[in-house]
Amino acid sequence: MRPLVWLGAVLLAGGLAAPVELRLSLRVGDQAFAWGRTYQTPQGQRYRIDLLKFYLSDLALVRPDGREVRVEGLVLAEFKPSAPTQGVPLMRFEAPPGEYRGLRFDVGVPRELNHQDAATQAWPLGINSGMYWAWNPGYIFYRLEGTAFLPEGSRKWVIHMGTDAFRLPVRLHDLQMRRVRLEIPPRGAVLVLNLDLGRAFWPGPGGVFLDWREPALRQLHGLSPQTRPWMSVVYHNMLDAFSLGE
Amino acid sequence: MRRGWALVLLGLGLLALERPAVTPAVLHLPPDPRTLAGPRAVPIPPDNPQTPAKVELGRRLFYDPRLSKDGRVACASCHRPEFAFSDGGNPVSTGVFGRKGSRNAPTLTNVAFRQRLFWEGRSPRLELQAVGPLTAHHEMGMEPEELAARLSAIPEYARAFQEVFGEPPSLRTVAFAIAAFERTLLSFNSPFDRYQAGDDQALSEAALRGMELFFSERGDCFHCHVGPDFTDDEPRNNGLYTVYKDIGLAQATGRDEDVGKFKTPTLRNVALTAPYMHDGSKKTLREVVEHYNRGGEPNLNADPLIRPLGLSEAEIDDLVAFLESLTDTSFTTNPALLPP
Repeated sequence: MRPLVWLGAVLLAGGLAAPVELRLSLRVGDQAFAWGRTYQTPQGQRYRIDLLKFYLSDLALVRPDGREVRVEGLVLAEFKPSAPTQGVPLMRFEAPPGEYRGLRFDVGVPRELNHQDAATQAWPLGINSGMYWAWNPGYIFYRLEGTAFLPEGSRKWVIHMGTDAFRLPVRLHDLQMRRVRLEIPPRGAVLVLNLDLGRAFWPGPGGVFLDWREPALRQLHGLSPQTRPWMSVVYHNMLDAFSLGE
Repeated sequence: MRRGWALVLLGLGLLALERPAVTPAVLHLPPDPRTLAGPRAVPIPPDNPQTPAKVELGRRLFYDPRLSKDGRVACASCHRPEFAFSDGGNPVSTGVFGRKGSRNAPTLTNVAFRQRLFWEGRSPRLELQAVGPLTAHHEMGMEPEELAARLSAIPEYARAFQEVFGEPPSLRTVAFAIAAFERTLLSFNSPFDRYQAGDDQALSEAALRGMELFFSERGDCFHCHVGPDFTDDEPRNNGLYTVYKDIGLAQATGRDEDVGKFKTPTLRNVALTAPYMHDGSKKTLREVVEHYNRGGEPNLNADPLIRPLGLSEAEIDDLVAFLESLTDTSFTTNPALLPP
């Protein structure tokens, strides 16, 4: 009798899980992002994006009553020139069908993984990820690199956001105003995230912005004291860089 | 008598440092008759056992500029053997495409024994530390995929990695091989070592006087520069500046009390590794000793040991003479450590 109950529970549980795929589309403002295209910051500086890599972790779907369906695992999203930029699959998981009020996730690596010996960690962590940060604690969480077109010529710039202090909580749920509604039917669903790459360059408090004419601001690294205020501006901009797509 | 106490203190320092973080094993090196002190037990991490083939592969990689983005910068570009694997007079090093770093390249002398790496000690092991220079934008600037593809296209490397690691080249295996080579950068044959081994003629009179000062409360060098490699591996603020442009350990911890803290460097071969301090701001050993003799610059985080010492000009000269006696020329000319 007991094995039958167990089998029934497994079948029931299996029937309740619907396949979900999370995809990502890159944008700059309201345009679809394209490799090789020149964009402009709000301050009028022209740039091109050459590389994007980031960790997504601690994903959860949020039910209407505020409870969460948490998704285990961590993924490394990698975008390089000529690679697709729209509707790119990030991760697949299963979730109970039903209505949700959005989702949340972190851009970054959970602290308990961020400080282990990278030489012993498996992909997508580890030394070969290209995200291990030998001189700062742990991994680079969000890595955006590109070229600025300045009057004196083109100059490379990098934004390497990381360290536990800069793990980015992205919250795309709304329980009160109910503006966000995700429906996961029993047959499964595709959820699309948008990431506005240009958002990083918006000005911060007092008009502070990433002025690439300053050589020091072409190298934003985690806790670097010379650039921390600008990294903080990028961090706060990035809180609003993700959105749910159609 | 004071010399006797100095030796006792040094011995205690030796004992205090015998606490490797990983399983110790004796390095598989042929005995070097010139190394009078003999090889100490080098800590070898269990996941990167030392083999002659791996060391040789690491040596080739260490001297190969093809590991860098522009093909012009090798590990050895900034860690040159003739300068005890430091950067030969450059306050900061030049990386790919002429990009400048912000810190002085430290010596790799006896780096196998260091329990913390980088100037503020943020890396716990050589395998992880090596990733930094290989990938840093202003050092070698390589991406893991690019490095793997470039080395895989070189038949000798493809074959060697397969033999040593049983897998193709990758950033991880490159770092592991370089770490294995770095663990062979051992130096224990300075005049000081020979004096310790019983050669009464090994040190000059000035160096002997300097040694007395070094290990005395008056000179007070030995509290931080302790043990067989003359370092406690601890980050300290040595009063170099009142306001630090580079905040050192505080970059990692975010704590005000860590501003300006950098790791105590080894003094082995220190006469070959000018300029000094984390930013290469002191050109000579005499300038360094004068800095400590003045008691450094005012700084709330300065180590309590930093205070005016009241040394005479002659005593400063003696201390410098002792520091010069830590030079091991057999290390800088050892064929096993030079380019293959």
